[in-house]
Amino acid sequence: MDTFKIVVAGVGGQGTLLASRLLAEAAIKAGLHVKIGETYGMAQRGGPVMGHIQIGGETNNPQIRKGEADVLIGFEPAEAVRRGVTYLKKDGLALINTRKTAPVEVVSGMMPYPDMNKLFALLGKVTKNIHTFDATGIAEEAGDPITTNIVMLGSITESGLLPYSEETVVNTMKEGLKPQFIEMNMKAFELGKKAYHSL
Amino acid sequence: MSHPVALDRPGERVVLMGNEAIARGAIEGGITLAASYPGTPSSEIGNTLARVAKKLGFHFEWSANEKVALEVAYGASMVNQRVICPMKHVGVNVALDILNPITLRGVKGGLVVVSTDDPSQHSSRTEQDNRWMGKLNDVPIIEPSSPQEAKDLTKYALGLSEHVKLPVLIRTVTRLSHMRSDVELGEIEDLGRKPEFDWEGFSYRVAGFEKLFRRHKERHEKIDAVEAEFEKVPFNLVKNNGEKKGIIGVGFSFTYVKDALEALDVEDKVAWMKLLTPHPLPQKKVGEFIKGLDTLLVAEEVDPYVELHIKALAKDINPDLKILGRLDGTLPREGELSHELIDEKISDILGLPKKPQERAEIEAEKDELLFDRMLTMCAGCPHRSSLYALKQAVKAVKGDLMNVVVNGDIGCYGLAHAPPMAFEDTYFAMGASIGVSQGMQQMGVDTIAWIGDGTFLHAGIPALQNAVHNGANIKIVVADNAAVAMTGFQTNPQMGVTATGDKVDPIMIEDIAKASGVKHVEVVDPYDLDAAEAAFKRMLEAEGVAMVISRRECAMVAVRKMRPERPPVYAVDPEKCIGCKQCLNNYGCPALMWNEDERKASIDTTLCMGCDSCAQVCPVGAIGRRD
Repeated sequence: MDTFKIVVAGVGGQGTLLASRLLAEAAIKAGLHVKIGETYGMAQRGGPVMGHIQIGGETNNPQIRKGEADVLIGFEPAEAVRRGVTYLKKDGLALINTRKTAPVEVVSGMMPYPDMNKLFALLGKVTKNIHTFDATGIAEEAGDPITTNIVMLGSITESGLLPYSEETVVNTMKEGLKPQFIEMNMKAFELGKKAYHSL
Repeated sequence: MSHPVALDRPGERVVLMGNEAIARGAIEGGITLAASYPGTPSSEIGNTLARVAKKLGFHFEWSANEKVALEVAYGASMVNQRVICPMKHVGVNVALDILNPITLRGVKGGLVVVSTDDPSQHSSRTEQDNRWMGKLNDVPIIEPSSPQEAKDLTKYALGLSEHVKLPVLIRTVTRLSHMRSDVELGEIEDLGRKPEFDWEGFSYRVAGFEKLFRRHKERHEKIDAVEAEFEKVPFNLVKNNGEKKGIIGVGFSFTYVKDALEALDVEDKVAWMKLLTPHPLPQKKVGEFIKGLDTLLVAEEVDPYVELHIKALAKDINPDLKILGRLDGTLPREGELSHELIDEKISDILGLPKKPQERAEIEAEKDELLFDRMLTMCAGCPHRSSLYALKQAVKAVKGDLMNVVVNGDIGCYGLAHAPPMAFEDTYFAMGASIGVSQGMQQMGVDTIAWIGDGTFLHAGIPALQNAVHNGANIKIVVADNAAVAMTGFQTNPQMGVTATGDKVDPIMIEDIAKASGVKHVEVVDPYDLDAAEAAFKRMLEAEGVAMVISRRECAMVAVRKMRPERPPVYAVDPEKCIGCKQCLNNYGCPALMWNEDERKASIDTTLCMGCDSCAQVCPVGAIGRRD
C-alpha cells in the first residue's frame, strides 16, 4: 500500500503525542508498519508541537515531505495553518480545533492573534477540504478539556480515511488509556465523531 | 498497562520510541544496573528504565549528575555487571573526566554510554557532535539509523564492550531518539552473573603513571581490534554495482539518502553505503566502496566527521575522487539534514532538473500573518510568581532593575528571559549561574544567581561553597518547584523518593546552604507575592552570600495531582476591571486573555490552575475565585 501520511499540529500540553501514539498503535494492530516523527521544543508547555505519522509503506525517515500529508489534525488554529500550509497535500483533509491558545506575544500585548478568516483563507489556497469545530468545547462537554485529543481522534476516525477500522481505534484506546478515564474518553470519541458531520 | 519494553515475547512487534528501543536493547542485553541524568533528548531512556527496573530486577537511578552516573555505572562494570549510562550530548562534557580513565583502564562487564546529540539545537545550547568525544578517548561509536537498530545495536554494543574491554558509545540524534516505529522484540538475556571484583585483572587497580602510559598502547590495540570487527559487521550495508556516483549515509542520515533515492527513482544510478560505525572507521570496507567512484556525497550530522576521515583515506586509494559534503560547502556546516536538502544534492550530482519551489508565496504570506509562539512558563508556574516578586524587591532595594545582573541557569526557569518577565541576563551551563555571579560581583558588579532546585543539586554545590569560602557577596534565588520539570519530572535528592519509588530521607537545599556557611537562608512560598517580595528584600540587604529558596510545587504536577478534580475557578469581574492590562503586561500568565472590544481582561479556565497570583497583581481587586 501507499504510505498514509498524517500531520498533527498543536501546542505543548494539548495531548497531541498521545493522539499520535494511539493512531500508531492502531496501525500495528492492523498489521501495518508505522513511523512517528515528533518535533517539540524544550518547554513542557506553550511551544509549537508537530507530529508526523506515516502508516504502511517502507519509508525510512520519520519526517513527511512538504506538501505530501493526506490529513492535517490541527489542535489549534494558528498551529494548524502553520503546518498545513507547509505539509498538507493539495486538497488534503484538514480537521481543525477552533479554540485558540494565545502565545505570550498575544497575552503580553506585543501583537494580536491573527484574524481567523485570514488564517483559514490562507490554508484555503492549499485545500478546500477544511473542517473546523470547537473540539476543546466538546471535550469540556465530555468532562475535561484534556480529552480534546480524543475528540480529534474521533473526528479523523469518522472521516473514514484511516487505513484501519473504527473498531481497531476503539480497542487501541481501551488498551492504551487508564481504566478510570475510559468512560470519559469514549464519550469524547463519540462526540468527536459527531463533530465531523456537524461542519 | 505494563510497558512494552518489559515484555518477554520475542518476535512481537510493538511501537517504540528510539529512546525506548535503546532501553529495551539494554534490557535484552542483560543489564543489572543503569544510571543516568535526564536531559532532552535523552530523558525517555531513563524514564523507561525507571518504570520497569523493579519488575525486571535491575537497579536504576537518576544520579546527581552525568559524571556520578558514569562512575556508578563503571563501578558495577568492574564487578562484572552489564550496565548502561544514557545522557544528553552536553552531559558527556560533565562525564568526560571519568570517561577518560575508563578507556585507559578498561571495563569488565559491558558498559554502554549513550549520547543523544541534538543537531539544530531543538532543546540544547549547542549542537556539539559527540563523535569527537569518542575519537578523543578511543571509544568505539555506533550510530543506529532506526529504532529497530537502536535496540539491536545497544544489545550488540554491550557484548562488544565486554569483548574488547572498552566502553562503547551509542550515538543518536534527536530525530531518532524521538521517533517511534514498530520494533520486533528479541530475547531477554538473563546472565545471572555473580558480582565480583576482578582481583587478577589488575587493569583498574591503582598503578603509577608509567604503568598507565603503557595502557595507552593497549588502548590503541583494542581500538584496532574493534576496527577489524567493524569491517565484518552485517549492519554496515553496501549496494555497489559499479556506479560512478556514490553516497555514504552515516547513522540516521542514511534515512534521508535511502528515501531520496526511492523518491527520485534513481536507485540504479547510485552506489550507496549505510555506515553505522563512524569510529573506528572500517577503512578497508570504506576504501573498497570509494575505489571505483568519481563522485562521493557524505551525508552525516552534524560535523564532517566521517567525511574528514574519508578525505584522508582517499588520498591513497582514489586521489581524484570528488568528495561532496559539509567540508566543501555542498551541505551546510551547521544543522540537521532534510529531505529537501538531500533530494536536491542527489539531483545535482545526477544532473536532474531542480524541483520548483511550489508554495514559496503562501509560505511568505504565512510568515507575515503568524507569530512565532515564543516559549513561556506554564499557566500558574511558580517561577513566574517568584520573578514578579523578585523584580518588585530589586526595584525597591536597588532602585532600578538594571542595577543588578541576573545570571540564570538551565531549566524551565531559564525562560525568565522571555517577555513579559524579561528578568534574566545570562545562562550557560548546569550550575554556572553561581560561579559567574561570583566573578562579576568580586569585580564590583551586583549579581543575582537564579538557579533551579535540580540544577543546584547537579552542579551548584561546589560553586556555592567556593563563593562562601572566597568571601563573595552574591545573592542566590533557588527557584525550587520540587521537580526536574523541563525534562519530564524525574527525581532529585531533595524529593525524598528515588527514581524507582523508594522513600528515602530528602537532602534539603537549605541544609546544604547552611552547612556550606551561608548565613542568610530563607524559604518562601512564591504564591504569596508579598511574603516573597519581603524575603527577597531581606536577601538583597544581607551581607555576604545570601539565599532565598522560593519553593512551590510545579503547576503541572499540582494539576495532575488534582485530577479528576479541576482547579478552583478564577475569573475577572468585568465590572471592576479597569482595563489597565497590568496582569497581562507585567505578569503575563498564559491563562490570561484580553478582549479588545470590551477592553477587559478575562481568564481561560481550561488553562488556569488557581494559583491566585494574578489576583494579587491586579491593582483594583477585579480578579478572584468565582465560588
